[in-house]
Amino acid sequence: MATFVTKRLLMALATVLVVAVLAFLLVHAMPGSPGAVSLGAGASQDAIDQLNQSLGWNDPLVVQFFRWLGDAVQGNLGNSLIDGRSISTDLSNRLPVTASLAAGATVLSAIFGIVLGVTAAVRGGLLDQLIGGFVGLLVALPAFWIGVVFVYLFAVQSSVFPATGYVPFEVSPQEWAMSLALPVITLAAGGAAFIARQTRASMLEALQQEHIRTLRATATPTWKILYIHALRYASLPIVASIALQFIGLFGGSVIAEQLFAMPGLGQAVQSSVSTHDAPAVQGVVVIATVVVVAVNLVLELATKFLDPKLRAS
Amino acid sequence: MIPTLPATSRKTALTKLSGHRLINSPAGLAGTLWLSAIIIASLTAAWWLPYKTEDQDFTAVLSGPTAAHWLGTDELGRDILSRIFASAAETLGTSFITVIVGVGLGTLLALAAANSQRGEGIISRVTEVMMSLPGTVIILAIVGAVGTNIPLIMAILGVLISAGIYRVILGQAKSLQNQLYVDAAKVDGLGPFAISVRHVLPGLATTIVVQSALIFAVGLLIQAGLAFIGFGPPLPQPSWGGMIQSASQHVYDAPWLMVPTGVVLALTVLSANAIGNALGKAAHATASHLPSAAIRRKRAGQAVAAASAAPPVQDAPEAGKLSVRGLSVGVDGGTPLVTDVAFDVEPGTVLGLVGESGCGKTMTALSLMGLLPTGVAVTSGQILWNGKNLAAATDKDMDAIRGRDIALISQEPMRALDPMFTVGYQLTSAIRRLRSVGEQEAAAEALSLLEKVGIVDAKRILKTYPHQISGGMAQRVAIALALSGNPRLLVADEPTTALDVTVQAEILSLLRSLVKDTGMSVVMVTHDLGVVADICDHVAVMYAGQVVENGRAASILDNPRHPYTLALLAADPHANSAHDMPERLATIKGQVPQPKDWPTGCRFAARCQFAGSACTVPIPLLPSGTGAGLVRCVKADELAMEGLAWVPTDVPASHRLDIIEKDMA
Repeated sequence: MATFVTKRLLMALATVLVVAVLAFLLVHAMPGSPGAVSLGAGASQDAIDQLNQSLGWNDPLVVQFFRWLGDAVQGNLGNSLIDGRSISTDLSNRLPVTASLAAGATVLSAIFGIVLGVTAAVRGGLLDQLIGGFVGLLVALPAFWIGVVFVYLFAVQSSVFPATGYVPFEVSPQEWAMSLALPVITLAAGGAAFIARQTRASMLEALQQEHIRTLRATATPTWKILYIHALRYASLPIVASIALQFIGLFGGSVIAEQLFAMPGLGQAVQSSVSTHDAPAVQGVVVIATVVVVAVNLVLELATKFLDPKLRAS
Repeated sequence: MIPTLPATSRKTALTKLSGHRLINSPAGLAGTLWLSAIIIASLTAAWWLPYKTEDQDFTAVLSGPTAAHWLGTDELGRDILSRIFASAAETLGTSFITVIVGVGLGTLLALAAANSQRGEGIISRVTEVMMSLPGTVIILAIVGAVGTNIPLIMAILGVLISAGIYRVILGQAKSLQNQLYVDAAKVDGLGPFAISVRHVLPGLATTIVVQSALIFAVGLLIQAGLAFIGFGPPLPQPSWGGMIQSASQHVYDAPWLMVPTGVVLALTVLSANAIGNALGKAAHATASHLPSAAIRRKRAGQAVAAASAAPPVQDAPEAGKLSVRGLSVGVDGGTPLVTDVAFDVEPGTVLGLVGESGCGKTMTALSLMGLLPTGVAVTSGQILWNGKNLAAATDKDMDAIRGRDIALISQEPMRALDPMFTVGYQLTSAIRRLRSVGEQEAAAEALSLLEKVGIVDAKRILKTYPHQISGGMAQRVAIALALSGNPRLLVADEPTTALDVTVQAEILSLLRSLVKDTGMSVVMVTHDLGVVADICDHVAVMYAGQVVENGRAASILDNPRHPYTLALLAADPHANSAHDMPERLATIKGQVPQPKDWPTGCRFAARCQFAGSACTVPIPLLPSGTGAGLVRCVKADELAMEGLAWVPTDVPASHRLDIIEKDMA
């Protein structure tokens, strides 16, 4: 187990490093030098050159990368080319927003997905078909479309929830929850459908296992077979699908952030990509990767713990 | 042991791509129609669209559907219908780029990985990393570098997605790569590339098409999402995502605008998904061991109806005696699997159900416990036990009998135990339930049961998971589990088949001593005549869903009357003692016929060395003359009189070749 954890940790570190290099190269492939982006359209070529020189843009790529990496491990991701604010500070303000969104949507989609999937598998018949149709529809409807419809229904027609904006938890926990409600539901809809499908398939597979027959042969009550034994057997792929969901939502929340004006990481990527703010793009890619890889690692270990075969080895 | 042919087809990795599945599924058909319609409409858009994409009608800004604008207009008075279809071709086409790159690359990677173990290690590592990345953020960063070059971005998206495709395809590619005919091709000197293309790729066709349809849908959604947040084709060129974005700006004053584009996009995605699901649906899903609530309700209703329709139980057998009368089991569609089976099991005796695979032995045994697989049911007959007819019992009635009166041991002990729970948990929870005792008492009883089935370090075994113990040990645990309710009858479905020879002998002697100690009776399903000789008091030989001969084990083994029994004995290496072992062991040519191919006459006639014209009419089960034995053969007396034996036959060379070719096909 210890070697497994070490191996995975090293792997995670390598992943982040590879992404850091790729992000660095990608940013250097962006059109326009940092000087040109920073000084805007009217700037003279001399001023641009001078700024590029002072930013180290003309140094060899390797030197630039290690300078950036050295700063990054100390928590300094550089400054925005557009308004000069510290990218680290900016992202640390945005991280809680995206984390709340992704975590909330993952939890909500897991709850609804598991309930729908188990019900479909266990009840069968017409209910299974109805859930199948509903889930199919949720998968097909784009999140942004669902989001706009929610805004129309709950914010325009009846002002149950605020249409846009984010209230930090420290300011007012209640308003924080209210401001998250619509974006979280929007993001969770597709995720719930995805998890429901996985849950249904895994439950059906679990019920095909021969040990289910042994349980029936010893007069085990049906509820116990379904919700203790079959669900336990199905839990591994279900947890894996929840992990995938979180990865998808972290950063995939950009649409919801845009739609509901949430100051999260997704919005930061969107705006910094539009303005060619290279260091900001690089910073956000690396931070998102670190978070996703870390969460993935934790969930992977959790999955291992769920499987007696892997736990023992 | 009887040399059984590999009769039942294994789950083959190779599945044929079938258009029928698409047409037979209403959703798949609807999806195909919509997708074809929208592709045709978008390709011919230039000829039929009522307006140009930039035509502005200031008299009808933000209008709903009208005669002039069927789907309404946007904030600049542009016709929605025209804009949707003018941009359809590009939207669909660029999504297809993702499909080609993603599925193509994923398939290539899977083929390469299936070819070499080292390659698999590297590729799997890389794809694992790819799958644990925040894809959306990376795609956006790429947009920053290359601009809104949609085809290029969709291609890069395909590269990111290929990791997931690789995961889906790899397992199947590997199992195809390990097929015997691939080994044969290798021996023939075919190179790895040629093997991949000729032997592995065709088998992946269904999966590739299914994944293509699903990825097409993903591509559409992501492309629309990008356009929605402003990374679509440059304005004023219309795009579906961009149109929904501008519609969302008018959700306050013109909510209708959301509908047309959203519905077209959703229907297109739904269609692609429906096509993928229809094609990907497994043709033969394994039956569930616990049918869904809907099926259970239906079955319970049928059981109640059957119980009220069935004649009242007459001359009920004494307590502890099992009496099966005229039992038939069939698939719900009507194909019979077991017909008119009858036998008795006296308390304290062992009945052997003997025959090749596919003769209905296991179905007969499972029907005794009401545990037939989903889709299979008792169609007529009675299973009498303690004054009750189990054939017409509901699941609820059976729960009072399962474990307490009748218990089950199955063929593969490893699969019969729940891999997620410890042996101790499984055993104590069964004991608590079946004996209504407390936690501590159950724990003590579990320990003593394990000792009773011959496990020495019972304390340690209680704490282990099934995968941590050997097959023989697992079968002992499974037997202890079956004993946890002090049953009067044990149904044992080939309990020794999956075990090593030495372990087989141990398990048999354990069962024998349990019968002696507890006085319970056993129905033993086996294809091993050695097991019959070892443990059975009575035998019912089954062939193609019928009992063809039954009687005392000793008399049937010494004096078989039915040609099938004769053949089984002649083909058994253990039944022939060493000194008179024939040079060539007898075989039974052909295979057990499939239920749908059963003839009206003697079902064994096609394989019988003695068959004649009298064998084409239905044959009744008649007294065989030896004790209370019965035999289903018109020629039984003739054979006995002439003392004929089943003779080993030479397999003609041409026939041998035939078999090999069939196996490879």
